[in-house]
Amino acid sequence: MLTVENTKCECGHQNAVGTVLCESCGKPLLKDLQQSDAPLEMRYDGVARRSQKSNQTAIDKIWSFFSSVKIAIYLIVITFLTAMLGTIYPQESTFINNFDPSTYYENTYGLPGKIYYMLGLSHTYESWWFIGLLVMIGTSLVICSLDRVLPLYRALNKQQIRKHHQFILRQKTVYTADIEGEPKEWVANFGAQLKRRGYKVHQEEGQGTALLAEKNRFSRWGPYINHIGLILFLLAILARSIPGWQMDAYVSVPDGDTVRIAGTNYFIKSEKFVVEFYNDDELPEQLQGKMRAKNYETQAVLYACVSDCSDPLKEPVLEEVKRHNIIVNDPLVYDGFKFYQFDFDLTPRLNAVSPILEDKGTGEKYGPFYLPMKDSALQHKLGPYTLDLFANYMEFALNSEGKPTTLSREPNAPAFVFTVKGPGLKPEGEPYIYFPMQKDKVKFAQDTINREIAGKIEIRVDGMENVDFSEATTHLNVRVDKALPYLWVGAVFSMLGLIMGSYWQHRRIWLRIDGGKLALGAHTNKNWFGMRSDVANALKKVGIEVDPKTLDNGGKNA
Amino acid sequence: MGKSRKKIQIVILLAVLVLGGYAIGSTFFGKDKTGLLKVGAEPPEFKLADLDGGVRSLSEFKGKPVVVNFWGTFCEPCVREMPEFERQYEKWKDKGLVILAINLSEDTLTVNNFVNRFDLTYPILRDVNRQTERSYGLRQYPTTFFIKPDGTLMEVKVGGMLEKDIDERVERLLQL
Repeated sequence: MLTVENTKCECGHQNAVGTVLCESCGKPLLKDLQQSDAPLEMRYDGVARRSQKSNQTAIDKIWSFFSSVKIAIYLIVITFLTAMLGTIYPQESTFINNFDPSTYYENTYGLPGKIYYMLGLSHTYESWWFIGLLVMIGTSLVICSLDRVLPLYRALNKQQIRKHHQFILRQKTVYTADIEGEPKEWVANFGAQLKRRGYKVHQEEGQGTALLAEKNRFSRWGPYINHIGLILFLLAILARSIPGWQMDAYVSVPDGDTVRIAGTNYFIKSEKFVVEFYNDDELPEQLQGKMRAKNYETQAVLYACVSDCSDPLKEPVLEEVKRHNIIVNDPLVYDGFKFYQFDFDLTPRLNAVSPILEDKGTGEKYGPFYLPMKDSALQHKLGPYTLDLFANYMEFALNSEGKPTTLSREPNAPAFVFTVKGPGLKPEGEPYIYFPMQKDKVKFAQDTINREIAGKIEIRVDGMENVDFSEATTHLNVRVDKALPYLWVGAVFSMLGLIMGSYWQHRRIWLRIDGGKLALGAHTNKNWFGMRSDVANALKKVGIEVDPKTLDNGGKNA
Repeated sequence: MGKSRKKIQIVILLAVLVLGGYAIGSTFFGKDKTGLLKVGAEPPEFKLADLDGGVRSLSEFKGKPVVVNFWGTFCEPCVREMPEFERQYEKWKDKGLVILAINLSEDTLTVNNFVNRFDLTYPILRDVNRQTERSYGLRQYPTTFFIKPDGTLMEVKVGGMLEKDIDERVERLLQL
């Protein structure tokens, strides 16, 4: 197609290689096009795309590859098809906890699942080839647009008013007639009518027998503004991989705990989690008796660490920055962070007890003393007694060798072993095991293990006011998306471009009068019906009645 | 005009190469969203207290082969593994092997009691509030990370190991 040919038009204008219609007078340059009389292809006003060159270097070849709309369409179709593959089974990124993709897909979906996982389709949208396709689409968007918008801009910016007869009479809307009277006046009169319909009118200087009227040229820039929006959109998505730009994490905060948000200097505390359930009379019959949450709320406080933030030997110094009661769809928002209510767990957790020590001989009570489940003080002095903490277990059990051990690090069945010294006890102290929870006391037979010391002293909690526990754990979703404003900007540009290109049409009318003969041609990029009625209306105003339908010169979409 | 056009072409293609390369490249490295660290990735830095009142970080051992083992007293296979790590440490420490055993956020008394019972000489580090284990994406215990002297991950072993399993991996680590 790109053979070297004479691109100089008979009007004297030197056109670029690949030009279809002379940039100046509009005459078709290709021989076979000159001989035909079918309506002209007006795409990009017939100017050459920037990449259309006769001798291409490697860079030119890459450039013209991406400049091709055909390639762009292939890329988009391939991306659509591969994106569909990613929807067959759930993607890895949709799972939150305790999820092992190497077994999940096979166990859940059998052999197809295994193949799906092995092909890497379980993370389609993060795979190198999918991102690669998006990069290629982005490249194609930039290059396609640039290659077309600049020549188009030039062509529309310096339009020749007097066009070649072949150009005018091969438009899709055409009118010819014999004109009586002074041509210059007729043209000026007709131009005034078009002006009233919103056209910008350019009458040829001098003779004044040629005219170009144009309106809504800006709609031609719509697609390119849309493309700028899409490119911004893609760049914003890409920017999410910049460290700190995107975060989508989950934190679990038991009542009263302060938890660090991993990778940040923020700490979040849940002062209390409250949940309200529907009453039975508020529920339809089939849901009655079931616990349906009506409202749940985390009374959260966000802290920023101000010093000793990463020194493991010191407690971080925290400063409150925000306080908010988080409910569903009403997150705590601060500094780009959003804390959403995600889930909750009503399993209580024992935090600390404040037991007393009773001397069973005298009946005297000492204490209470504060005994947290974790990192308790190692020594407690209670009147004449001294308690040295010897060992503690979060979930007490006996291991295969019969020795005490812990089954987990959650205080599900806590136990404390003290060495107790005091009146009536051996001077080196006697061991005493203490189970704060009544169920464990019974289960592990505390008094039996403690033997004779159980008859001398007792450590116990008097009353629930001496028990500190978290009633619930709230699960929050922590999100940061710094790219979001840019996505919006991209979306706004894209929409603006679409509206510009869709709701307005670029309409142009060319005419010339040679020896009393009027030749009028009109072009628009869409809505030919409107184009013809514009022409017919203006003609009517200057005294020529014409049925708009008869202006149709054939051609596609006319 | 031809020259400036060429320049624009080169600038745009270079921008595509850099941005696109970054986008595609970032799919190969780093933690996948759900799971453990990938082999070849650089494991996340940590800075934790040891039992002697000091602070140890992963980065201070760059250039040496490092074995990072997560353990807890509540995890029987971890407990069984500890003396085996101790023997491996004795065997290879002259060759520069570093073993960092990170406790799974248990309290001080529990850790001290345990370490005294086994007489361990390699550094025991104390994770706080599960931060380090989370950044390493731990799902099961024990999990052991074998880190090459260049700071990249050679292997992740989930589950308990026998001494010969440890030995075989340490030998591979030292040869690299």
